[in-house]
Amino acid sequence: MDFSLSRPKPHRLKPVLLASLLESDFMSAPTTTAATSATCANCSAPTGGAHFCPSCGKIQPLPRGTDFFSFFGLPQKLTVDLEQLEQRFHSLSWKLHPDHFARASDDERQLSLDRSSLLNDAYRTLRDPVARVEYLLGLAGMRKEGQKKQQAPPELLEEVFELNESLDELREARASGGTAAAMAGLRAKLEAAQHKFEASLAAVDQELARVSAEWDAALDSGADETASRKLMEKMNEVLNRRSYIRNLVNGVRQELAES
Amino acid sequence: MPRTVGIDLGTTYSLIAYQDKREGRPKCIPGPYGTPLCPSVVSVDADGSIIVGEPARRRLLTQSERTIYSVKRLMGRGPADVQDELKIFPFRIDPASKNVIRVRLGDRVFTPPEISAFILRELKSWADEYFQDVVDRAVITVPAYFNDAQRQATRDAGRLAGLEVLRLVNEPTAAALAYGLHEQKRGRVAVYDFGGGTFDISILKLISTTEGDIYQVLSTNGDTHLGGDDIDNALQALAREELSKQGVDLAAHPDTVQELRKALIAAKHELSDAAKTTVKFPLPDGGDAALLGARQKTVYFREITRAEYDRIIRPIVDRTMGPVRQALADAKLTSAEIEEVVLVGGSTRVPLVRSTVEEFFGRRPHAELNPDEVVALGAAVQADILEGGVNDMLLLDVTPLSLGIETMGGVVAKIIPRNSTVPASAQEMFTTGVENQTGIDIHVLQGERELAKDCRSLARFQLKVPPGPAGLARIEVKFLIDASGILQVAARDLRTGEEHKIDVQPSYGLDDAAVERMLEESIEFAEQDFSERQLIEARNEAETVLQATEKALAREQEEAPGDMPAEERHALNGAVTSLREAVAGKDYKRIRAFVDVLNQATMPLAERMMNRALGAALEGKNLGEV
Repeated sequence: MDFSLSRPKPHRLKPVLLASLLESDFMSAPTTTAATSATCANCSAPTGGAHFCPSCGKIQPLPRGTDFFSFFGLPQKLTVDLEQLEQRFHSLSWKLHPDHFARASDDERQLSLDRSSLLNDAYRTLRDPVARVEYLLGLAGMRKEGQKKQQAPPELLEEVFELNESLDELREARASGGTAAAMAGLRAKLEAAQHKFEASLAAVDQELARVSAEWDAALDSGADETASRKLMEKMNEVLNRRSYIRNLVNGVRQELAES
Repeated sequence: MPRTVGIDLGTTYSLIAYQDKREGRPKCIPGPYGTPLCPSVVSVDADGSIIVGEPARRRLLTQSERTIYSVKRLMGRGPADVQDELKIFPFRIDPASKNVIRVRLGDRVFTPPEISAFILRELKSWADEYFQDVVDRAVITVPAYFNDAQRQATRDAGRLAGLEVLRLVNEPTAAALAYGLHEQKRGRVAVYDFGGGTFDISILKLISTTEGDIYQVLSTNGDTHLGGDDIDNALQALAREELSKQGVDLAAHPDTVQELRKALIAAKHELSDAAKTTVKFPLPDGGDAALLGARQKTVYFREITRAEYDRIIRPIVDRTMGPVRQALADAKLTSAEIEEVVLVGGSTRVPLVRSTVEEFFGRRPHAELNPDEVVALGAAVQADILEGGVNDMLLLDVTPLSLGIETMGGVVAKIIPRNSTVPASAQEMFTTGVENQTGIDIHVLQGERELAKDCRSLARFQLKVPPGPAGLARIEVKFLIDASGILQVAARDLRTGEEHKIDVQPSYGLDDAAVERMLEESIEFAEQDFSERQLIEARNEAETVLQATEKALAREQEEAPGDMPAEERHALNGAVTSLREAVAGKDYKRIRAFVDVLNQATMPLAERMMNRALGAALEGKNLGEV
C-alpha cells in the first residue's frame, strides 16, 4: 500500500532573507569581546584573538562574530590604504590558506578553511569602497534598504521620466519595425541618458567618499553617538540613492546592448 | 613512499604527471604506447571487460555502440541539459535516467563519473607501473568554468577510481602554474584555454612576495561546452549535408560516422599547418568496413582550403571572445594591460584561434610549452605543494559563478559573487514565515541570472525548526565554497546553539550512498594485472591488423595483380612473420612495435587501394563493377 498520498505535505515556504526583514536585530552583535578572552585549545595559553597561538603556534578557532576590520587588525574606518590591505591579504594568505594545512589534522584543516574564507570575504568587502560602507552600516544595524526603493531621487525625476519615455518609444519602434533613422535617433537619446546617469553615479560615489571621510574624522575626534548615528543615516541614504542610479545605468546599458 | 600525482582529465585526452623531486620539475608519465596522451575513450567488451585509451579509440570504428568519447560533456548534467549534445554526439542515454545521466554501452549502463573513473584507473595504472608502487592521491584538474555539480561529479570519479582527490584545480590556473614556473615571469597574465570540449579564460596576477610567488586569479569565464569537438562537428555537418545531397545517409552506419569523424579530425590537424587539405573517405556499401579491404562503392572526396576552413569555424572561435571580454571587465582591466597571453589546449593549434587572440590582445601569445601537457604538469606542481614539497608557491583561485539562494517570487539573492577568491563564505539568517512551520526550504543556485529558473540548481535542503510563532526561529546558515570550488553547507540554531545536520540532495549528482554502492560494484571490474591486460589488448590489436592485411592482399590480387613491387612484398611478408612471432610471445611492447612495423609496411598498399577506389568514383564507375 502506498502511504505517500495520505501523508500531509510539509508546509513549504520560500526562505526569507532575514537580513532584509530584521536587520538591526542580528547584525549588531558585539564583536570582539569573545576574541580577547580566548585561550589556545592546544596549550591553554591566552591567544588574544590572534590567528595563531603566540605560545605554540597552532592555528586558532575563529571567535564568533569576528568582524572584517578586526580580522585585518584595522580600526572601523572607511579610508583604507589599498596597497597595504593587499599586502596584508597576501601575507595572511600565506599563513592561512588550506594548501598549507593539507597534511594537518582535521581540526586544523577546518580552522584554516574558516579563517581563510573569512580572510577572502573580508578582503573582497574592504577593498571596495561601497561594500565597505555597506558592511560598516550592517555591523551597526544601520543599513536599511529604503522602502521607497523604486522611487527616483527628486533631482533625477525629470531625467528618469524622459528615460522611461525613450525606452517605451524604443520598444514600440522595435516591435513595429521602425525605420533605421528613427531607431538611431532613439539610440542616441538613450546614449545621452546613459552618460547623464553615469555622471550621476560618479557624483554619488564622490558624495559617498566625502561622507566616509567625515565618518573617519568624527571617529578621530571622538564624536558622540548622535553625531555618528546621523552620519550613518546619511551614508545609508547615499547608498540607497546609489543603488537606484546603478540600476538605471545597468538598465540602459542592457537596453542598448539588446537594440 | 606513496606518491601524489596530477591528472588532467580532458575531453579528448587525459594525462598523468608527477613532480620529479630530483630535477625539481614536473613530468608527464608515458603510457604503454609511449605517449603520455591517453585518449579519453572507454569501451565495454562483449565479455564485460573495460577497455580504455588507444585501443578503445580504435574500437570507435568497429564497436561504436559499445564505445564512448567526450564523456566529460556529460559530467554533472541532467538528461534535459544534454538534448542539444545528443543531436551531434552518439551518446546513448538510458531512458530511465533521472537526475543523473546513465549511458548505455553495449548491454551495460554507466553514469558519467563511472566512465571517467575508468579513464582515471587507466592513468593510475600507468603511474603504478611507472613507479612500481601504488599511487592513491591525486590533484585533478577541471575547467575553471565548471559549476559545483560538474566538480562534484569529477571528485566522485576520482573516488570511484580509488583515488583520494586532494584538490580540484582549475585548468587555466594549473597551466599558469606550470608556465610561471617555466618562464619566471611576473605581472598580469591571460590564459586562453581552448580544449577538446571546454573553453576557459582566466586573468591572473603573478606576484613576488618575501614568502614566495603568489598566483592570484583575478577573474575567470568560459563555456563548458565549447571546444575542438565543435569544430569537428561543424566539419561533419558539412560533409554529411553534402553526402545527403548525393543520396548517401550515414545515419544507419554508426561505425562509418566514426570513420568520417576520424578523417575530418585528420584534415583539421593538417589545416593547422597546411594551406589546404583533401578529405578522402570511403563510403559504406553495407558490407564489411574493417580497417582495410572493404569493398567500397564510392568515395567522398573533398578539398578544404584554409580560407574555407576559417569561414566554417569562425563562429566557433568568435564564441570564445565574449567570455574573454567579460573576464577582462570583471578584472577591471583592458586588453592592453595584459602583459602576457598564454595558449593552452589542443584547439589553440588552430591558426584562426591564434590570430584572433593575437589581434585582440595586440601581442603574440606564448605557446612554448606543449599545450597538451601543460595542464597536467601544473596539476603535478599543485599536488607537490599540497604534499609540502614545493613551499614557495601559492595559488589563489576564484569561484567562476555567483552563488545564490532562492527568495520570494523565485528571485535569486546572490550571496557569494562570481570571481570571489576561494575559499569564500556567506552567512544568512533564516526564520519562519507562518505559525508552527516546522521546516524552511532552502534552494541553492549558481549563475548570474536574476531568476531561479534561469540559474543552475545545485541543491535543495530543509532546515528543521521547532513549531512556534512565525519569525521566532533563528537559523544561521553558512555557505562555504572550498578551495576546490565545491559548496559546503552548515547551519546552526541561534536560539539553542545547536548545529544542524543538513542532508543536501544534489540536484544533478550522485549522493554519497550512490557513490558507495558504485564503489562496491566496481570491485567486479577489479583491475587486472597491468601487463596481462596490455598483453591481451596488444594481441587483439595484432589480430585485427593481420586479418586486415590478409584481406587487402587478397583484394589487390583480384583487382590489380602485379601492382605490388617485389621489395614491398618482401617487407610486408617479413613484417607479417615478425608480428606472428611476437604474438606467440608475451611481451606486449614487442607486439606493439611489430604492429607499427606492419602498419607502416601496408601503407603503400592502402594508398593504392584508396586511389583505385577514388579513380573509379571519379569516373562515375562503381568499383564493385570494375
